[in-house]
Amino acid sequence: MKLNSRLLSSRIVLLIVSLALGLVVMFAVTSRMFDGSLDTMKDTPDYTSVLLVNGLIAGSVVLFVLELRMDAVRVVLTVIVALLFGYLVTAIFNLDSAQRFTRGEFKVSLASDAAVPDVEDMDIQYGRARAGDFNNDDQPEPLEEDRYRFAGSEGDEITILAFAARANVEVDLQVALLDADGNELAKSTEVTQEQIDAYKPDLKSTKDAAITNYTLPADGLYTIHVKPEDLSQSQIIKEMLSKTRVAYEAFLLGPVDRVLRWSFWIQDALTLILLGLSIAIVFRAEQFSLGAEGQLYFGALVSGVIVLSFGDVPKTLLVPIALLSAGTAGFLWGLLPGALKAYLGANELVSTLMLNTIATRFYEMVLTFQLQPPDAGYTASDWFPSSGQLTPIVEGTQVTIAVYVVIAVVILTWLLIRRTPIGYEIRMIGANIKFADYGGINTKRTIMLAMAISGIVAGLAGAHLGMGIHRKLILNISIGLAFEGVVVALLARNNPLVVPFAGLLYAYLRTGARFMESDANVSFEVVRIIQSIIILLITAQALVTIFRRRRIRRRGTLDLDLEAGANGGLPPSLPAEEGAHV
Amino acid sequence: MALVEARDIVKIYPNGVLANDGVNLSVEQGEIHALVGENGAGKSTLVKVLYGLETPTSGTIQLRDKTVHISNPQAAIDLGIGMVHQNFMLVDSFSIAQNIVLGQETTTLGGLALDRQKAISDTEALSEQYGLFVEPAARVDTVPVGMRQRVEILKALYRGAEILILDEPTAVLTPRETKDLFNAVRNLVAEGKTVIFITHKLREVMEISDRVTVMRDARNVGTVVTAETSEAELARMMVGREVFMVVDKPPVEHGQPVLEVRHVTYINETGRTLLHNASFNVYESEILGVAGVEGNGQTELVEVLTGLRAATGGGIASVDGRSVLGYGPRKVREAHVAHIPEDRLTNGVSVMTTINDNLIVDRYYRTPFTRLGMLDLNAITENGNTLVKQFDILTPSGELPVGSLSGGNMQKVVLARELSSSPRLLIAAQPTRGVDIGAIEYIHQQLVDKRTDGLAILLISADLQEVMKLSDRIMVMYNGEIVGVFPNTPDLTEEKLGLYMLGAERQPAAEMEQYL
Repeated sequence: MKLNSRLLSSRIVLLIVSLALGLVVMFAVTSRMFDGSLDTMKDTPDYTSVLLVNGLIAGSVVLFVLELRMDAVRVVLTVIVALLFGYLVTAIFNLDSAQRFTRGEFKVSLASDAAVPDVEDMDIQYGRARAGDFNNDDQPEPLEEDRYRFAGSEGDEITILAFAARANVEVDLQVALLDADGNELAKSTEVTQEQIDAYKPDLKSTKDAAITNYTLPADGLYTIHVKPEDLSQSQIIKEMLSKTRVAYEAFLLGPVDRVLRWSFWIQDALTLILLGLSIAIVFRAEQFSLGAEGQLYFGALVSGVIVLSFGDVPKTLLVPIALLSAGTAGFLWGLLPGALKAYLGANELVSTLMLNTIATRFYEMVLTFQLQPPDAGYTASDWFPSSGQLTPIVEGTQVTIAVYVVIAVVILTWLLIRRTPIGYEIRMIGANIKFADYGGINTKRTIMLAMAISGIVAGLAGAHLGMGIHRKLILNISIGLAFEGVVVALLARNNPLVVPFAGLLYAYLRTGARFMESDANVSFEVVRIIQSIIILLITAQALVTIFRRRRIRRRGTLDLDLEAGANGGLPPSLPAEEGAHV
Repeated sequence: MALVEARDIVKIYPNGVLANDGVNLSVEQGEIHALVGENGAGKSTLVKVLYGLETPTSGTIQLRDKTVHISNPQAAIDLGIGMVHQNFMLVDSFSIAQNIVLGQETTTLGGLALDRQKAISDTEALSEQYGLFVEPAARVDTVPVGMRQRVEILKALYRGAEILILDEPTAVLTPRETKDLFNAVRNLVAEGKTVIFITHKLREVMEISDRVTVMRDARNVGTVVTAETSEAELARMMVGREVFMVVDKPPVEHGQPVLEVRHVTYINETGRTLLHNASFNVYESEILGVAGVEGNGQTELVEVLTGLRAATGGGIASVDGRSVLGYGPRKVREAHVAHIPEDRLTNGVSVMTTINDNLIVDRYYRTPFTRLGMLDLNAITENGNTLVKQFDILTPSGELPVGSLSGGNMQKVVLARELSSSPRLLIAAQPTRGVDIGAIEYIHQQLVDKRTDGLAILLISADLQEVMKLSDRIMVMYNGEIVGVFPNTPDLTEEKLGLYMLGAERQPAAEMEQYL
């Protein structure tokens, strides 16, 4: 059929485009990590594992494009818009970066071979120097400019230097020589390279100022007037932009700078992918459960207690047991609010938030009173025995076999939702619970199961945090990580196959923000702003879908019928929203 | 001379839907002009353009031979065009008189207080003049639907409407109320008003209108004088082909009772008895029609029987001797009960889900759809393809969301699923609501064919004609009770059923017993 062949060819095009994009991403990440040099790569331990993970990243890109199609463009646009906003915020944050040229410690020296005139009460004299600190906000009255009087005789050849006190002070100085009436005799705003060479080590940069070999015209009192140079608009903007560029470079490229930084990205992504999957399952069922946080804490605690207590058991047995127990703990902690919702009608949003608090506090209690070694300086358990740690696949990093666990969980979640009866039930109660009820689906059981299964995945995320990343239990092992999972699930449109890409993308932004903070001293809060904008934009899109759905429900078939009429009775091919390909 | 004339109206919605494609409509002074067409033919868009709710993409409107621009409803009202919407636009907590004068109130005390007395006297005068009886002082939410509709009409008249557009006014009325409405419309015309009457019920067109404009596929097919046409001709114009308005219904002897209901009662959370002591049978090869004004317990009856609601007290309902009361929908379905729900979009389908997935909601957990705990996508697709073909569902693929289908085709999805579940009993609630004529014809024939093949059908419909056309027996419900059961013989008239539907009459128990 013509329709089929057209569908087929568009699918092939899509496949080629997605594969190309995936390869580009993989190549870009890898070459940046190893500075584009094959030798550097081969010198890196476990570089094959790095390549494998980068290959998986490429795979996530392929799935992202194949699954979301045109929606993928929307997701990318959303992120770009959010990044632009972030850029603006960073720029505003850096608005005052040019101010550093107006502040800092400086010195002024006055030199001459002539004899020092015998005049009392002078601020400075030949062969002496004075120091000061411009615009220091710590002082009650910051110094904005300074004047020094000195006495000189006709024919004295003097040299005035004004320079930053230390190499790391960037103050941009100007110096002027005034006669007794205040007339400007000489002025300098910058120095030449020759002058820097000639007056080492005082002069250090062209931003210093110097009046050299000036011959005084008469006997009398003179004044040295020194102050920071006024900033021009263009200088302010230029400084702001260059600082912002540096910050954004750290933000956008930091996570792939080198293997260690890359590993921070990957380990964070693994956590977020698990949490995104967990949230996607409940959101699929239209249950707004935010219980992943509490389930994570229980998962971390149970797996932690098991590996700490049974350190002698061989790794091949201990790790699976710990992971299973973490999943079970999450399952039970999800079953609880599920049952409350299904049988007592307790709002799942409220109950899960409450249960999160209980889980967090319980974790803290056990950690503080049971697990913390008595001599420990801060609240944390002992290091996990090596049999209880997930094995790193890249030496010297925390990129562990959790990678394989996550792949398995992605596939299982996808199978669960698309290919099992319980997944069908979850999708149906999510799409229209009254329809599910009418069709004979046990909606209560499904609500409960959806929330409990989601708990398994969140519990595994907790185990990954404990056994993979921290290798011990620490206080605040997650600060609202589950809520980052919500962003990931939203970005992925609750599609398990898209979650890996969304998790990687979002973890990339989070890790980038950390490096922006450390490299460019821009606050991590910028990433919070980016995050909020992503959520706003995505929920705005979700609203469109909700409104469309409600319109269909309320107006019955009106709009769609019109379409059908206009096309001569053939129903139009709707842009498949959720049902057709997810 | 035409009073209103729409010329070459083209309306393309922002989403690219062509709703009107060069439509012409000419309405003369003092006539009742019916506008008919199937759902989606563009009737509503056309009147929205006339009333200023939509701006046409191109085309002009002429009023008394002058081109006018109607950019919003206020402009339409200023030009003397009034509209009564299908969903009433009234403030429920206000009195009728307040609703009528709303926005144009006479005030006293320098604008500080409303002159309620004048509102009431104005309403009374207006009501008197046009023969539209209302109770000016009653609150809107306490009066019946028919009166609310008259309030809407009076509201438009109070604003000086010369031309009244009535959008499917009879959809919510009982036969008696419809008669009253028609009398009122005739009064309006006698007073010199002009009425544009939108409907898809051809019998009403024949009864009330002077001329008819038929629309199909965003165009007007033609305008005819009512006296010179027939229902069959109008139907042919609407659908574009010959329509057989009569279903082919061979007489069959009914068989064993399939559904037996005894003393079933439903009391809601607030203690109101919505279904009282219902007892009846539905037999093999029989359609039992339930007549009644909506809201008289039919919905509750259906939901109790299908397991969506739990009955109150100790009644019995069994299908082939298997009790179905007190079980959920799954158990009821496993007793071979199929259910076409009254609200298709709420219960019958999931619009965002694919057609194929919609077609398995009652059977996904059984082989061949689930094998070894996994869904068999091939079996699901095959089931979809077979049913799409068998039930003539117009779609390029079963992978499209149900929301992409027209109302008629959505209902065919429901029908396909329910009839393919090899049921013994079908509970069909409002099976043709909001469905176009072609699909109605198809659904009616399917129901009758299945009944001839032995299916027991309980048919609930607000459309009395539908009930009378399809049923072998008719049961009337009023106020949650069964007030009469009649064999569907030719001497059973709408008027007679109407008396029972409004609670004016009640069949003696002994007589009812005889027809159970």
